[in-house]
Amino acid sequence: MTYIVQTHQLTKTFNGQEAVSGVSMNIQKGDIYGLLGPNGAGKTTIMKMLTNLVKPTSGEVVLFGEKITDASYSMLGRMGSIIEYPIFYGKLSAKENLDLHCEYMGYPNKKAIDEVLELVKLSNIDNKAVKHFSLGMKQRLGIARAMITKPELLILDEPINGLDPMGIKELRDLFQMLSKQYGITLLISSHLLSEIEQVADAIGVVNHGRLIQEVSMEQVRAQNTEYIELTTNDCKQAAYVLSNDLGISNLRVIDERVIRVYGASIPQSEITKALILRNMNIESITKKNSSLEDYFLTLLHGGEYRA
Amino acid sequence: MLKLMKLELRKFKLSGYIRGALIANVIILGLLLLIGYTSEIEKELSFTDFERVLSLIETFVRATFVVFASVLIWTMVIGEFKSKSMTVMFLYPINRKKIMIAKLLVIVLFTFSAMIVSLVFVTLGFAIAHSISPIVPDASFWPVIKQHAAGIVMNTVAASIMSLIPLYFGMRSYSGPATILSSFLIVVIVCQYFGDITLYSFIIIPITLALIGAYVAYLAIRNVEKRDIL
Repeated sequence: MTYIVQTHQLTKTFNGQEAVSGVSMNIQKGDIYGLLGPNGAGKTTIMKMLTNLVKPTSGEVVLFGEKITDASYSMLGRMGSIIEYPIFYGKLSAKENLDLHCEYMGYPNKKAIDEVLELVKLSNIDNKAVKHFSLGMKQRLGIARAMITKPELLILDEPINGLDPMGIKELRDLFQMLSKQYGITLLISSHLLSEIEQVADAIGVVNHGRLIQEVSMEQVRAQNTEYIELTTNDCKQAAYVLSNDLGISNLRVIDERVIRVYGASIPQSEITKALILRNMNIESITKKNSSLEDYFLTLLHGGEYRA
Repeated sequence: MLKLMKLELRKFKLSGYIRGALIANVIILGLLLLIGYTSEIEKELSFTDFERVLSLIETFVRATFVVFASVLIWTMVIGEFKSKSMTVMFLYPINRKKIMIAKLLVIVLFTFSAMIVSLVFVTLGFAIAHSISPIVPDASFWPVIKQHAAGIVMNTVAASIMSLIPLYFGMRSYSGPATILSSFLIVVIVCQYFGDITLYSFIIIPITLALIGAYVAYLAIRNVEKRDIL
């Protein structure tokens, strides 16, 4: 297992206030890593420290197995990024901006410019100056610029901002393509969980500058993908039936009438049958999906998900 | 380094500034001729000899391009920090110090060549006007130019380095007005006439100011690696 990005107790203080404190995160090679957190949680500051724009107050960043210092420049050539929001030379056209980028990155293949504009679906922009672009178009151009040199690591800060639903879908496919076809490691931040949930392989949850949890999506899915929610008139009795007759231990009583069964190893029909055999009254029984959103919210509120 | 400088030129399209410099030249020449011809009418000659003309040309050109340089400092350095496009620059695998040096070199070299070209252009223009309709009674062009050429070039070198001083005021708060106002201040101090001479005529003044300019550049370059780019 190789890590592309590792941080150890990364801390940044601005005017005596900790914007990021003690963040230790690990990003595996080839993963799409989602950095989740509400606005102002410290996501951008973390990304700026990863790209050496902001120098940590304490702690360290290890990129591609090397600790970064003030003079770490060569590793910047192996990454592409959008930090905060995409910034361009507004007076120049999209192609001129990309051309300059290739020059500075030392990337000789100029044919890539048209290819990459095609990939992010930015066509018929002609020679329009970038300052006349909409936010969505700038976002697309920013992604195009970040990926044009086929870097090993892509750091994208809120790439979904300002895009329409179709655009979001296209981007999601693009991220997956980059990860699968080119083996690029992606670090994507967002406050929109539903978007991250669908592409990420691993997730780091940040709040108030702290990394609250780091999990792989597999783990999250295994933990709480599906559950069966049933409403009865007598919860205690139902819980007894479920654990006694069916041997279900993974259940949670929500209130007097609602009970949740996790881990869908036992089919819904079995549960219904067992309850009916015991003469229990079932008002409703439904299979539900707990999304990352619930998980995320419980983490942010510091609560335990399961009883 | 040369490549970095070329890229800077491409990014900021300095051709627009060249046009601006040309317009400035025409205005300087116009002003000069205006002074020359009107004083002739009023019978009180301000241009008694060509040495004075040359000194006036030098002062005009210097004042113009010190301010011009501050505009360049604003667009190429301060403005890049302010609009955050510097974050883009500092995400390239290029030493930040080199990026800064390239920018400052472009500014100094552009200012220097603009000053030299303007000096030649305005002097030539004046000479042509003089040959059509004489302005200066004692018109011995070539000896005067030959005598002063080396000094003028040295002064111009000093002036183009000196024009980096506004960088210091601009970098403190990434402020455009501070950058350009401080250049005006320098012009007022250095290019003001006291009788026949300006402060710039004392050799120590241009040298000191150039040293200050160089130090300002050094400060801007030295700290750039440790700076947080927010």
